[in-house]
Amino acid sequence: MSGVALPRLCCEWLHGCSGCEVALLNGGDLFLGLLEQVDIVHFPLLMDHKCPDGPEGNPSLPRAEIGLVSGGVASKAQLEVLRTMRDRCRILVAFGTCASHGGIPALRNQWTTEQALSTVFHGDDCEYSSESESKGWLDRIYAIDEWVEVDLLLPGCPPRPETIVEVVAALAAGQQPQLTEKSVCEHCPTVRTGSGRMTVRRFLANADYEPEEPMDSMRCLFEQGLLCMGPVTVGGCGGREMPLCIRARVPCRGCYGPVRRQGNQLLDLLNILASKGIDHRAIVDRISLLRFSGAHGLLKPNIQG
Amino acid sequence: MGQVISIQPVTRIEGQARIDIHLDDAGQVADARLLIDALRGFEQFVIGRPAEEIPRIVSRICGICPWMHHLAAAKAIDGCFAVTPPLAGQLLRELCHVLAHIHDKILHFFFLAAPDFIFGPSSDYSVRSIMGLVHRHPDLAAEVVRMRQLGLAMLERIAGKATHPVAAVVGGFAKPMTGQERQSLQADGRILLDFACRALNYAKQKVFVRLADEEAALGAITTGFLGTVDDQGSLRFYQGQLRLMRHDGSTVDFAAVEYNRYLAEWAEPWSTAKMIYARAWDEFFSLDLEAPRGVYRVNTLARINVCDRIATPLAQAELEAFRARFGRPAQGMLLAHWARLIELVYACERVLELLADERIIEPMVRTPAEPQAGRGVGQVEAPRGTLIHDFTTDNNGCIVRANLIVGTTHNIASMNMSVRRAAATLIAEGQVDAVLLNRIEMAVRAYDP
Amino acid sequence: MNREPVIIAFCCNWCSYAAADLAGISRLQYPGSIRIIRVMCTGMVHPELVLKALNKGAAGVIIVGCHLGECHYIKGSEMALARAEIIADTLEDLGIAAERFQLVWVSSSEPERLVAAFREMSERLGIGRALGVKTPEAGQ
Repeated sequence: MSGVALPRLCCEWLHGCSGCEVALLNGGDLFLGLLEQVDIVHFPLLMDHKCPDGPEGNPSLPRAEIGLVSGGVASKAQLEVLRTMRDRCRILVAFGTCASHGGIPALRNQWTTEQALSTVFHGDDCEYSSESESKGWLDRIYAIDEWVEVDLLLPGCPPRPETIVEVVAALAAGQQPQLTEKSVCEHCPTVRTGSGRMTVRRFLANADYEPEEPMDSMRCLFEQGLLCMGPVTVGGCGGREMPLCIRARVPCRGCYGPVRRQGNQLLDLLNILASKGIDHRAIVDRISLLRFSGAHGLLKPNIQG
Repeated sequence: MGQVISIQPVTRIEGQARIDIHLDDAGQVADARLLIDALRGFEQFVIGRPAEEIPRIVSRICGICPWMHHLAAAKAIDGCFAVTPPLAGQLLRELCHVLAHIHDKILHFFFLAAPDFIFGPSSDYSVRSIMGLVHRHPDLAAEVVRMRQLGLAMLERIAGKATHPVAAVVGGFAKPMTGQERQSLQADGRILLDFACRALNYAKQKVFVRLADEEAALGAITTGFLGTVDDQGSLRFYQGQLRLMRHDGSTVDFAAVEYNRYLAEWAEPWSTAKMIYARAWDEFFSLDLEAPRGVYRVNTLARINVCDRIATPLAQAELEAFRARFGRPAQGMLLAHWARLIELVYACERVLELLADERIIEPMVRTPAEPQAGRGVGQVEAPRGTLIHDFTTDNNGCIVRANLIVGTTHNIASMNMSVRRAAATLIAEGQVDAVLLNRIEMAVRAYDP
Repeated sequence: MNREPVIIAFCCNWCSYAAADLAGISRLQYPGSIRIIRVMCTGMVHPELVLKALNKGAAGVIIVGCHLGECHYIKGSEMALARAEIIADTLEDLGIAAERFQLVWVSSSEPERLVAAFREMSERLGIGRALGVKTPEAGQ
């Protein structure tokens, strides 16, 4: 539309919830500004560019400098889309936690696809059941880097709008985006003393704080005895400001995934409990600690079946 | 069978879907189906999780309406643990719920649906989008984007995290609202209401004038409707009783916890999305275009049809004008867009109403809960329709059974009817082009799936 | 892949590694499947290292540290014990048989005890007795 050819941006979604795409729109003015810097050539939520299966059975996606893929990989069709995106895009970004680490949908990896199908379709209230479509599913939910080479992980559930815009703008300008490598705790203003309650309790009553007082007068939620995933989760959820869940006075649950790319949030957290001398058996449901990062084979069907 | 025409993917909708149109040898439409691959498995993987964690897990069912799932689950888990949130907690939850409706309606109407009407279905695809709107009508686009932003910013002020929220917790809300926050929210709420009224007027002048023509091009379907009303029969989003209306206008009201007696699920072998039909009508289920059985619609048009009135003045006036023109129940597929903007006005008025209540800033926002065995059914009206979450817990307060009926699931049956009707009306002798196929997509888009 | 199954042994520099040395000097035999990794203290072995070894295809992981109260760094063995409890409890959660991991205490003067622990683990996992050894599921 303009005279100068802008870098092209191609967006696709796989096994996600479209929250990442909405987060990009939530950038508001920043999103409008981004439209001056990139030419969006494919974006199913927003525009009618179609991609019917081409002659080789893969979807006919356009070539682009930057590709954003949200969601993990659950089906063969999604895998085809992913492979085609890799083929057509010079830089491929894992957009959001599902694409980077599996995300909430990868909690399903605790069961086989057949078990999940049968639970969803054979419920007490469902009068007829369908098995015919089960053949298109993969055995579990995968992060996209388990199938193709990924140039950048942009985790978050969803990623912070200004971060998405900054990353895409930096890539469009040929620069390497800067993402934080520090944990949520490093961005958290609450008061830590190094001591605290020697337990982890369930979040059944609100944290202890004065609503009118600023956040940096609230005691660290972990030290208040609440399970908080901040120490084992990479930061960035609040952009340059404090973490979002903390703003709601609610403990972190790890939605940005592990601090190190290959980290294991479950083991990292239990390890912290061990080093503080807190009994990890106080945690009711340990699997939940991997609720955002169950891809890469971390969550598997229970061996007892 | 002859040829199959696929629309892949269906675009400018809030999820992934494709349409397959089957033509017979003569080029006439034999069948048309909307296919949604939706094995997310939430009903499976919430099993064993501590119930108080569920509201922040199930929000991930949908990134566009996470608040709806978050709140329906919070209400259901309150039921499992038998706690009642304090009034301020309930008011804050409803405030967030209504605010989430506002930015969603702006998104759907202006970003996704309106380009069809502003530029016309036959315009080029590169223009027919929010990006096209930004180029052709920059002032309008900028205002739409900013208003949506404002609604989101209000949500962040109240609840910290606006997308995939965390602030609704079992027993109430995680943080009270301060007096100062309330004042700034009231000011912003008034800006949104003003915008909502202007948006509706703009749409009447520039968008809805095309509605009748487009409607005629697509053909008609006749179904029942489902929505939520209070005991006065007024439109409600956050809580109330369900009302099921037949195409003749007769209604039956029931509590959400009884949904199994009135609604039933059905899985067609060709679809991975379950369908739901009105068990209460005792006629089973059929997608026959001329004589459908058990099929009802949910979301904006359904809610506008089933309610007797709207309890806020500006929206009530719009409802009366709408009814005078289209009757009750109104059946037109595309009228869902009009209904959406009436609901936008209601939502903005309701925000101000909630903020006007002094009790919303009371510090007591959460009742502490104890894990226990129980069952809870939580229901809210999501932008795309009635949402029902049904959970059962064990003695340790962990989930043992879950059933989730999301707005779009109610509409799968009627969307399939719409697609088939539109395809049959538009396609003659196997002739299709991009404009025609986009018109078929418009029939789906109206449902905001 | 048809690789020989391997058991990774994290041995403490101050006790079990010395015991392994002594085992060698004393000509005590232990199974060839054992691969020793020397660490300064078993308290430093992060649970992720154990999981990584198992996921990468190790048949088993054994951590061999100083008896409780005899740690060169005072508290290392307690740390190793706390971490071992975590590992044992979570392996099953993660879809891995708990028998593939073990923690034992061996002082520098107990080579027989070390060799017995190695043999016992190897036999429990069915390694080295016959052809067609049972290989627990290999990682990617």
